[in-house]
Amino acid sequence: MKEKAEKLNGKDLINIGIYSAIYFVIVFAVALLGFIPIFMPLLTVLVPILGGIPFMLFLTKVKKAGMVFIMTLIMGIMMQLTGMSYYALIVGLFSGTVSELILKKGNYRSTQCAVLTSGVFSIWVWGNFIPLFTNIDKYFSTRQSFGQEYIDTLTSLMPTWMCPVLFVSCFVCGVIGGLIGRSVLKKHFVKAGIA
Amino acid sequence: MIEFQNVTFSYANDERAGTVKNLNLRIPDGQIVLLTGASGCGKSTVLRLINGLAPHFYEGKVDGRVSVNGIEPKEAALHELVSVTGSVFQNPRTQFYNVDTTGELAFACENMGMQVEEILKRMEKTVERFRIEKLMDRNIFHLSGGQKQQIACASVDVAEPDVFLLDEPTANLDYQAAKKLKKIIAIWKSAGKTVLIAEHRIAWVWELCDRLIIIKDGEIQSDLGKEEMEKISSKSLIEKQLRTKIEMNPLSLTRGVRSDREISISKLAVSYGKKTSMMKFADLSIPENKITALVGENGAGKTTLLHCMAGIIRKYKAKIEENGNLIPSKRLWKRTFLVMQDVNHQLFTESVLDEVMISMSRENEEKALEILDQVHLKEYAARHPMSLSGGQKQRVAIACAVASDKDILLFDEPTSGLDRHHMELTARLFLALKQMGKTIVIVTHDSELIESCCDAVIPVKEAVYE
Amino acid sequence: MLKFRLDPRTKILLLVLVTAVVLGGVGGNHMQPFVYVLSVLPAAMLLSVGKVRKAMRGMLLILMAYTAQFLLMGKIHGISGFLLLFVTGIWSRLLPGMMMGQYVMETTTVSEFIAAFERMHVPLQLTVPLSVMFRFFPTVKEEFQAINAAMKMRDIRFGGGNMVKAIEYRIVPMLSCSARIGEELSAAALSRGLCGERKRSNVCRIGFGICDRICLVFGAVCVLYGTAAAIGVIS
Repeated sequence: MKEKAEKLNGKDLINIGIYSAIYFVIVFAVALLGFIPIFMPLLTVLVPILGGIPFMLFLTKVKKAGMVFIMTLIMGIMMQLTGMSYYALIVGLFSGTVSELILKKGNYRSTQCAVLTSGVFSIWVWGNFIPLFTNIDKYFSTRQSFGQEYIDTLTSLMPTWMCPVLFVSCFVCGVIGGLIGRSVLKKHFVKAGIA
Repeated sequence: MIEFQNVTFSYANDERAGTVKNLNLRIPDGQIVLLTGASGCGKSTVLRLINGLAPHFYEGKVDGRVSVNGIEPKEAALHELVSVTGSVFQNPRTQFYNVDTTGELAFACENMGMQVEEILKRMEKTVERFRIEKLMDRNIFHLSGGQKQQIACASVDVAEPDVFLLDEPTANLDYQAAKKLKKIIAIWKSAGKTVLIAEHRIAWVWELCDRLIIIKDGEIQSDLGKEEMEKISSKSLIEKQLRTKIEMNPLSLTRGVRSDREISISKLAVSYGKKTSMMKFADLSIPENKITALVGENGAGKTTLLHCMAGIIRKYKAKIEENGNLIPSKRLWKRTFLVMQDVNHQLFTESVLDEVMISMSRENEEKALEILDQVHLKEYAARHPMSLSGGQKQRVAIACAVASDKDILLFDEPTSGLDRHHMELTARLFLALKQMGKTIVIVTHDSELIESCCDAVIPVKEAVYE
Repeated sequence: MLKFRLDPRTKILLLVLVTAVVLGGVGGNHMQPFVYVLSVLPAAMLLSVGKVRKAMRGMLLILMAYTAQFLLMGKIHGISGFLLLFVTGIWSRLLPGMMMGQYVMETTTVSEFIAAFERMHVPLQLTVPLSVMFRFFPTVKEEFQAINAAMKMRDIRFGGGNMVKAIEYRIVPMLSCSARIGEELSAAALSRGLCGERKRSNVCRIGFGICDRICLVFGAVCVLYGTAAAIGVIS
């Protein structure tokens, strides 16, 4: 079909809102675990994997450019509203753009591209960890109340080399989440006529 | 005027259900039209062709010509149709964009970009005509189903369209709430508006309607005017597989039944919400191995009562006796199974067979299949529960109840939104369950269901303490 | 009585302030006085709209957490002390943000939100998803409660044992119910002309009043102080 880049219509925008809400609820529930030091780096595993299921279902509704990008922006805004750093928003600008490009390459139909997108999209989670590495002393200066043990544990869990590790973890687990999401789609939603 | 000329439509993602074939129809201004027919007959599709949701939202191919006051919905954009048609949908929970009632009323006009003063003037007019002053500035999530539906009607009324379309508006409403809805339709009627109502339950609005159109398999089976409607007998409605036209308050059907065994629940008190207030119930006895209907007005606590019996609500005080012997409430929870009003909440697995198997204390495929056969679902064993129709999902839940060996089965509005055929099927299933020795308790507002299978009808009331 | 009503934009600003400073720890140790003020603020806000019980309960928990920290800090060690500090730490940081969030959610209507976004020149492509999200949170909660109730009733081999199944059985019905609700919600919203070509009007009259100005000045002081501390003007 020869048509200009289709504009997002009301149905698309509402879908973004609905799946962002579901995704965010899951992220938020998991993120509460992050207060336990050992779970903090694990968030880059759990959030992308668990988020993969709603995200893959969301991708089945995505047929036009811009939807994933808007969702990344929304996640960035929500992180801002819940007291995380603005880095998620900045990282999201990039990961969102790359996600869009991948999806476009797959013509919004290819499942491989969808799985890959789930990986790239998940990188926004990594954005929340950046302040830990750029200025760890400052980060902890206000977390004295958690006790020295908390700080020590977290510092030992977060040496600088963890920074790229977490980045890779977000991406890899995002892909795993995408694969799980895809199998759940096949197992449930396609049969149920939802996807 | 609404006109259909040789209209054919089928949904892109489902070629069977809801198709409309070669439809020719003329509805002059000011007519109140009742559209009815079995589930999936295409009556909702007719409404969607008028409000443009088909094909703009529900994709598919439209052949022929639909025109509404000279406008062709398929050619116009959805937002251009707001001042032409106004739609009220079946599920009161899902048709709101706002969380507050006032915002919802203004919503359609705001989308049209209307002047604020004009919107406020219209809202005031609607609120006064509908007498819903008390519902303004409230959280929609805290309203009852009936109140939500009143707000839905009001919110389309503010946009002042000429045509109102209601798609099974009372499927989730009780008798009293339907009465309120009827008043609103009377208001529209006296204002000379055109109203189309697609419904299974036809009694509540029967006397207001000027015309009855029965649709079968996407075609008009009969098209009756007012005089013919008056002549039609209850018997011929049943022959046409339609619901009754006689309005009946389920509370008026109250009756008891003699039973040698019964479970009595007395002094039941539940604290609800985050408030400290208690809901106290009048004592009631449920006969065992009988079918009992619990009836009562919205907010009388019927669903709460079921939830207490099923152990979904566990913090309550009550004296529960079986044949005069005191039993702990835990024992009651172990014996009960609730089929919820929205059965989608209780289906978890990827196949109907699995769903039944995980309900068994020890998995046994042979027995599971046998149970599925009893509820006429054997050929669906491999299907995904979510892909079934509403009635079938309900039967899956019933099969789970049977499989779990529970002997008290609770049903919350099992026939809401079901046509005559499926209602009768449900009633027969209840009778079969009774044969198996089960005790059945149904919360319902469906007088026909009560007439066709219930032994006892017990009103649920709040207790009055001195 | 003076009606205490804030503009949605002020509310969002306050929410960001509370979460960033109290939970996020922006500004470091210098901001400590503001942390205390911002921890009390949400309770005050809830009180201003008559949510006395919620405000009291939240404030009491925050106070308890601080008291425990004050009494125990440096006195106990080992895993139990760690856990205790940890729990109290979470409470004192998380609660103000959650209370503020609750205040914003409960006192702002969807159309006020839209109005605020429009005034801030946020494009429709973001306003609509954000407002749908806002509308959808209570629905997600309702669905989740209903599914949990159903699980509770069929306490058969769910939850226990198989972790993957436990998650699957919760997420799948939740998603399929939400997808269906979303579909119906879209149909209803579009039939009411959402996302038309005309510029939307809005019946909400939002604007900055005296209360907003006070809050904005407070916010500005907060930000200025934080910046000054960060670049070393105040030490």
